[in-house]
Amino acid sequence: MISLNENNTKYTIGIPRAISYYGNYPFYYGYFTALGLEIVLSDKTTSKIINEGCKYVVSDTCLPVKVFVGHVLNLLEKGCDTIFVPSLQSSSYKINNCSKIRGLPEIIRNVINRPFRIIDPEINKTEGISFKDFCYDFAHRFEIYDEGFIEKAIKKGWEVYNNYHKMALMGLGFEEALKNAIEGKMITKPIEIVRPLSVVIMAHGYNLYDERVSLRLIKKLEKMGVKSYTSLNITKEDALKAIEDLGEIQYWANELDLTGTAAYYMLRNKVDGIIALSAFGCGPDSLMVEEIQYHAKQRNMPMIHINIDEHTGEAGFVTRIEAFVDMLVRRKRKALEKSEVINLLHTVAERGKITAKAGKQNQIEEEIKI
Amino acid sequence: MFWNKKERRTISQLDKSVSTKDRIVAWPRMGNIDLSMEALVSNVGAKIVMPPRNSNEALEIGVKNSIEGICLPYKLNLANYIMALEKGANTLMMFQAPGSCRFGNYTKMAQKTLKKMGYEFDMCVFDMYQSKMVQTLKAFWHISHCTNPFCYYKGFSTGFNKAFAIDTAERLMFYTRPRELHKGDAEKCYKKWYKIIHETNSLSGCRKLKKQVIEDFKKIPIDKDRIVPKVYLLGEFFVLLDPYANQEIEKTLGELGVEVQRQIFFSDWLEHVLQPSIFYKKESHRERCVRYAQDYMKRAIGGECIETVGDTVFGARNGIDGIVHIMPFSCMPEIVAQNILPKVSKQEDIPILELVLDEQTGKAGNITRIEAFIDLVKRKKQRKQDS
Repeated sequence: MISLNENNTKYTIGIPRAISYYGNYPFYYGYFTALGLEIVLSDKTTSKIINEGCKYVVSDTCLPVKVFVGHVLNLLEKGCDTIFVPSLQSSSYKINNCSKIRGLPEIIRNVINRPFRIIDPEINKTEGISFKDFCYDFAHRFEIYDEGFIEKAIKKGWEVYNNYHKMALMGLGFEEALKNAIEGKMITKPIEIVRPLSVVIMAHGYNLYDERVSLRLIKKLEKMGVKSYTSLNITKEDALKAIEDLGEIQYWANELDLTGTAAYYMLRNKVDGIIALSAFGCGPDSLMVEEIQYHAKQRNMPMIHINIDEHTGEAGFVTRIEAFVDMLVRRKRKALEKSEVINLLHTVAERGKITAKAGKQNQIEEEIKI
Repeated sequence: MFWNKKERRTISQLDKSVSTKDRIVAWPRMGNIDLSMEALVSNVGAKIVMPPRNSNEALEIGVKNSIEGICLPYKLNLANYIMALEKGANTLMMFQAPGSCRFGNYTKMAQKTLKKMGYEFDMCVFDMYQSKMVQTLKAFWHISHCTNPFCYYKGFSTGFNKAFAIDTAERLMFYTRPRELHKGDAEKCYKKWYKIIHETNSLSGCRKLKKQVIEDFKKIPIDKDRIVPKVYLLGEFFVLLDPYANQEIEKTLGELGVEVQRQIFFSDWLEHVLQPSIFYKKESHRERCVRYAQDYMKRAIGGECIETVGDTVFGARNGIDGIVHIMPFSCMPEIVAQNILPKVSKQEDIPILELVLDEQTGKAGNITRIEAFIDLVKRKKQRKQDS
């Protein structure tokens, strides 16, 4: 059943560790391995990879695309000549992705002048190209035409993805959930350490879970005693509903990761602050962050917007986060003190009422006696 | 659920806070669209307030009130709104097309920003998400409540004819400017016709405009044998059409002795966006671009990216000597085009000049670059002819 190439070995496919890897890789893994392909992943992002990527594209291009180009080059260096660059156009009717992600295969095809094969199946729900077509298109590129076999492979892909999603919802980090899902393990809820503060991070998966790009933001926050919620911790339906509750309309395909997540936690008052992490020159982010900033201001929720680019110095980054966390601590302490004072007053007042009531009753009883 | 969403979108648009009688309408300025918009709106019987043309002052207001990361067209649009509201407008018009760039968010953002600033107004959006002609008619019904179909007919007819006439004048000016014997003739003729087109209001008068423009431009004495390199001006819609945003690059190029050919005109856009596709038999500009861009791009990715790439290839194969590609800073579709163009330039053997425009671009630096580029184009053309 498995199709083989000319040398009678398995086809290999290179997946760059960028953009759609974060979020969709569990599905890709399950589906591709079930189809009988061998997956080659690029190395984790390093400064060298980013610098290599920067050399090939114009300077105005955003950081994630530069990182993606770097990863493609890394795969080519590894000797992998078939590279998976999905063309993700829209997630539902008239809800499009950002132009740079939509044009990613086009960019890769034109900037890298080396012989290699691009596998760019398309998903475009505005024009009626569904996810199923995406999967079939992919399989057809490797000369696999048996429908039953493809369906089975898709099911396997969803199985891995669902396990990953479940674990992520329970509160496992991205790396851990991904590792366990790929190994086929299912870990139940880990012991949750109670932390004094919690924030929601609104960021694209490819910015946040890439440890070089986000400069290990989640771990840094953990060290400061701050629990961070991300888009992994809520379902897509919840995020979509949160956007509607906020009175906004979803415009971008990847808006759920940002506006949806931030809105969900903001509306439920579950967090003490919002951290927006976005790459410099990201078009959609500049609007989405502004939108949340507007609502956060109305609800008196502190928010910080951190821009990252390929030069981001770690020291300045840490200082800004520390300052923000300090501010949150002070705010919370103040609020607690206030609420304690109020509680005290309440209790005093209630006691006073009781005594007053008791006094009245005594009077009444006395009157009856008389 | 999907239906609900649609419903909400329409409700939020048609706000009835302002009564029809005291509506004063304004719209953002972009090149010559005022001519046709004015004809349309005044014919259905609404009052108009015109914000001043885009200028440094307008840009300053826009930059002050908008977020850092947004692109140049939004900043200018916002400034136009603010200036119009200051002048007494209470209804703002804007169209919103299902492009995939930030353009679709402009109205939403502007509404929020202006409300935050304390203005009271009604935003009337032609939402191209749903339907084209119906939405446009609905928007005009909303601002005027005009029941006379003849008014609509007159408005659309004069508006369209004015757009065609002014665009013809512009095209002829591009052709005449590098060839004219007396410097400044073409410019003078264009300015004269701009005034005439602005003042003509009758149905029959507007219909004749285009012919008259062509005849008048023919009278300008030109040197037909002069060797004039042809350059395509490509890029983002707004900066192409707005002379302030592109720092009058057409004039600069024309004065250097180059014939500019611009592929995107407002009238062309009107023709194939507003007309139902059944009535449009010619191969539209976009279709041609998709066909020519095929070697480099497989699919349209929103904005004018595929137009830029397709026109570059088309120009290279049809005797164009150079491409000037202009875009506002951080324009997403054009950045993709910018990434693709170097390869096109190499394979099709055509020189390309990239100009990124934002609020800080000095004009002098750009002129130097344009001059150097034109020298290169001229020398290349000469070499071709010699061999």
